[in-house]
Formats: sequence, C-alpha cells, structure tokens
Amino acid sequence: MLLSPNAMGRPLRTGLYLTTGLIAAFLLLPVVFIILLSFGSSQWLVFPPPGWTFKWYAQFFANPEWMDAALASLKVALLTTFAAVALGLPTAFALVRGRFPGRELLYGLFTMPMIVPLVIIAVAVYALFLKLGYTGTLFAFVVSHVIVALPFTIISIINSLKLFDQSIEDAAVICGASRLQAIFKVTFPAIRPGMIAGGLFAFLVSWDEVVLSVMMASPDLQTLPVKMWTTLRQDLSPVIAVASTLLIGLSLLVMFIAAALRRRAENA
Amino acid sequence: MSAVIKDDTRNQTLVSLRGLNKHYGDFTAVDNLDLEIQDGEFLTFLGSSGSGKSTTLSMLAGFETPSSGEILVDGQSLVSVPPHKRDIGMVFQRYSLFPHLNVRDNIGFPLAIRKLGADETRKRVEAMLKLVRLEPFAHRKPSQMSGGQQQRVAIARALVYEPRILLMDEPLGALDKKLREDLQDELRQLHRRLGITIVYVTHDQEEAMRLSQRIAIFSHGRIVGLGTGYDLYQNPPNAFVASFLGNSNFLRFTASGNGAGHFEGQPVTVRLTPGLANGQEALIMVRPEKALALTVEQAAREPLPAGWNEVTATVAELLFLGESQTCHVVTQGGTALTVKALSAAGMPMQPGDQVRVRWAVADACIYTDWAESDLSKGAGAH
Repeated sequence: MLLSPNAMGRPLRTGLYLTTGLIAAFLLLPVVFIILLSFGSSQWLVFPPPGWTFKWYAQFFANPEWMDAALASLKVALLTTFAAVALGLPTAFALVRGRFPGRELLYGLFTMPMIVPLVIIAVAVYALFLKLGYTGTLFAFVVSHVIVALPFTIISIINSLKLFDQSIEDAAVICGASRLQAIFKVTFPAIRPGMIAGGLFAFLVSWDEVVLSVMMASPDLQTLPVKMWTTLRQDLSPVIAVASTLLIGLSLLVMFIAAALRRRAENA
Repeated sequence: MSAVIKDDTRNQTLVSLRGLNKHYGDFTAVDNLDLEIQDGEFLTFLGSSGSGKSTTLSMLAGFETPSSGEILVDGQSLVSVPPHKRDIGMVFQRYSLFPHLNVRDNIGFPLAIRKLGADETRKRVEAMLKLVRLEPFAHRKPSQMSGGQQQRVAIARALVYEPRILLMDEPLGALDKKLREDLQDELRQLHRRLGITIVYVTHDQEEAMRLSQRIAIFSHGRIVGLGTGYDLYQNPPNAFVASFLGNSNFLRFTASGNGAGHFEGQPVTVRLTPGLANGQEALIMVRPEKALALTVEQAAREPLPAGWNEVTATVAELLFLGESQTCHVVTQGGTALTVKALSAAGMPMQPGDQVRVRWAVADACIYTDWAESDLSKGAGAH
C-alpha cells in the first residue's frame, strides 16, 4: 500500500501520529472533560476540580425530575427501537425483493429523513401533532423518533438481506416450510446481525435526540436531553454533567454490544 | 429409507410435462415443452445457460409458475401446489445450508417442519449421516466444512424426508474437478441404491454422460434431443445435438439420388435418408474418432473397403493429447475436418502432407434440415 505507515519515512509517520492524536483529542476531550466534571466537587464546573465527590450523582438519582426524564428517555428509545425494526424489516424485504415500479423512488423516500434538516422535520411533525393534540405524549415522541431512526434501520437490514443467498430460503421451502415459516426460521436468524445493528442504531438516534424532543416535550413528559437543555438555561449545575455522563455511558455500552455482536457474527 | 432396490422392469411415467411454457415479458424461457420422466430414472437436463433447463427445474420445484401447460406427477396436477407441499427434494448449486444450524439440525430440518417425533427424527438423521458418511461432522456448522462436505449435507437434507423426486441444480458446479468426479460416482451409487427419481441440471456434458440414464438436451427453451448418452452421441437427432455433444465434422454435399451425392465434386455414399431429394444440399456428420486419416502411401496399400467414403485433404496441424492425438486437415474445397485416433495407432503424416480421409457410411449421420448457427459450436463448447 502506498499509504502504509510502515513504508513511510520517520518524519511523515510522526506527523501522521501527531495529527491523528490531535483529531482524537479534539473529538474525545469534551467527553473526558464532562465525565471528570461530574465527579468534581465544585458546583461551578471549575476545571480542574478542587476535589472529587459522588454527591452530584446522589443528587441526580434523588431528584424525581431527573429520574423521570431518564426513564422517559429509556422508554422512548426502546419503543423507537422496536417500532423501527418492526417497520424496517418488511420495508427492507419489499425494497430488496419487490419487483414493482417505483421501488428506487420508495427507497429514496424512506431514506430522505437522513438528508432533510432535522429542524424541518421537527417543525412539520410539531405542527401536525399540535393540530391533533398529540404533543407531549409518548406516542408523539416515538413517532417522531422513528421517522429519523427508520432510514438507519432500513439500510442496515437491507445490507444484510442483500448478502443473504435467497436460495437458502428456497431450500427451507422445498424442505416443507411455508414461505413465512422459512423467513422466520431461516432468513431472520441469518440476517439477525443486521436486524440487531439496525435496532441499536435506532436506539442511539432516539437516545440522544434533542431537536424533535424539545418540540414534542411537555412539562409532564420530557427526555433526558430535553431536561438537560431546559436545566442548562436556568442554572449550570454539575448534575448536568452527571446526566451527560450517563447519556454517554449508555451510548458507549450500546456501541460495545454492537461491536461484540458483529465480531461474533463474523466468526460464526 | 424404504430400501427400494432398483428394478429395471418398471418404467412407468412418474412426471409428465405437457405443453409447458414460461414467458418473461417478450422472452420465452421455456417453449411448449413436453417430457415424460420415468419412475426411478436418472434424467439430466443438459444445455448452456439460458437454454431453459433451470427454469424448467424451477417449475418442477414450484418456484416458478408456468405461463401455461401442465405438470403431472402420478397423474395429479402440481401446478397449483405450492413448493413446500410438493414433497420434492432439491439440492442447490451453492449448497444453501442453513448457516445458523449444525449439520444434524440442517438434515433434521425437514423432519422438524413435519413435526416428526424425536426418536424417529434422530433415527432418520443418523441414517442420513451414515449414508453420506458425515457422522463425525454432525456437530459442525456449515461454515466449518469444505464445499464437498457441505453438498453431501445438502443431499442428506433433501433425502431425509424420502421424496420420490430429487431435483439437483448444478450441484457440483462449484467444486473442483477431482472432487466433482468423486461425488458423481457417489451420486450414481446413491441413485442405484435408493431407486429415487433424479432430475439433474448441468451444462457439463461429461457429467451428464457419467451420471444419467437419459439426457434431455435443451436449446432455446425446447428439448432438442432426448435419449441415452450413447444414442445422442452416436446418432444425434439433429445437427445441433451433433455439434453440441462432443466434437463433430460437418461436410456439405449435394444429393444425387438417395444414398449418393457429391462432396466438393468427389462422389460420396450416404445412408438412405427419408426426404433426401435429388440435387438437395445436405450435411454429413462424422465424429472425429470415426474418421481415419491415411497418408497417400497407406491409402495405396489399403484399398477402400466397401461401404466407405474417401476424400482428399491437406494436413494443417497435428496435436498430441496424451492417450489420443488429433489431425486437423483441410479439403480442397476449404472444409476443415478433424480426425482423432488413439496415440497407439500412430499418425505418420506431417503438416502440409496430402492425406485421404475415410469414414464408413454407417458411421455418418445425414441432416437435411439445419440452421447455420447449429454448426458453430459455441454453445456447450468445453
């Protein structure tokens, strides 16, 4: 390879390591910063912290508003995940296996939310739900999140479905399984990594979604990012750092699960 | 398996294809096909890609619906029976094993679908593992096995529910030559032991010859030749089959009365052929190994036997192929001919030498009706 690090001269290699390190630091430092602050003893988010404490965590977990928000986030994210997979699965099948006019167009439509500015979707959905009186409901949260999560889920499932040799499904059918049985017993297990990855994407999209959520939120129902946003506008408490840390922690966990599943699928 | 010993006396029709058609838009994949498949026979669909052989097999399996026509098994129509209720076994080109199940569960899958009891399932799966000699691999996942082993699992999976018909769609196409030949021998023995009806699709004519009792040669959605490999090779029903199967020499001649004619001005004798009119252009087909090439001196020593023809040609090239050798010659009129002989027989001529090419009238086929494209091999060339 032309760009293999081993083939480069020493100065070039050092430069490469340096820029890579700088970019990584640029991306990671805010995260490290916020995690450290959540353990800092100063209530003014001073860095470096004068001392270390768990008291902001205690405050977070003792405050029913934060707990409600965290619980709401989890609920919305899980429901979004299930809805996105449940809708994405048949959609992916239709887009991969269907032989009908307008299939390409349909694919474009389904993946459009990835390129349409989020604010536009948010305003549109908000206007609709306001008229229907759904704002501030769990339903509104999940529906709006599914809109932006679905493209990721669909693409992930489409990719694994395209790699799946359909004659394996045909083999199950000729062995006596109905088409539906074959799909459930053979195709789904085979494309499960794609389904799980699609679900995890949906979970992550929903878990840290803030634009749509701010629009959908009500005093009674708000997700963690929304609660952080509103709290931030009133005062700058280290509890926000705690919420951020938890948000990051769960996202990292989901990513680790995804990586582990992928590795297992590759070794199978 | 219900140990049915193959019995040569039974040759009842098991499957009938009647007026079968399959169109995709303007394209005719299968064109008004009629075929009777005998109970217990090993029948091969041989043809190049796009000849309709795989589409016909797909219609038998039920994955494709005929545009028109009828498929009968034991006199019962199959056309409206969905594939999972046809009780037909099938082996696919790319093995198509279930990747998340081990070998034992792959073979047991059809029985699990049929909700067979655990004891009976275990018994049958064991018998199948034994049949395909994979007992030590029962717990392996398909991805941990070689192509040949995977295909044996696929065969076991297709046989475990004791179907009367086994369809095989180029099952050995992805394997290397040596392994392919081993599996061909296994398959032939398996067929002999089980007495099951096998319909096999391949584009490899040697494979078709090696395996089958009868071969159906497909071209443009039709069956253009049907019979034993021997008959199709020795007595091709038309110029296409002659050119498609093995190698062939075609000599254009003009008939002068039935049984005689002229090839490039030299008189030739041909077998009596119905419909051969005086002055008509027709084709003589001679297999390269049925023709002899003699040097001028040899020809002078050995007079032409009765019932033989002789034409004069010039040697273009000699090829040594191990057990055999070929001699490419060109006649005065520019017709290229190939003569093939066992190496032991020897070919004393050199390129540029004059030779006499001889063949027995009885060994030459006559065709009065052909298309030019029939003669230009291409399809099925190996």
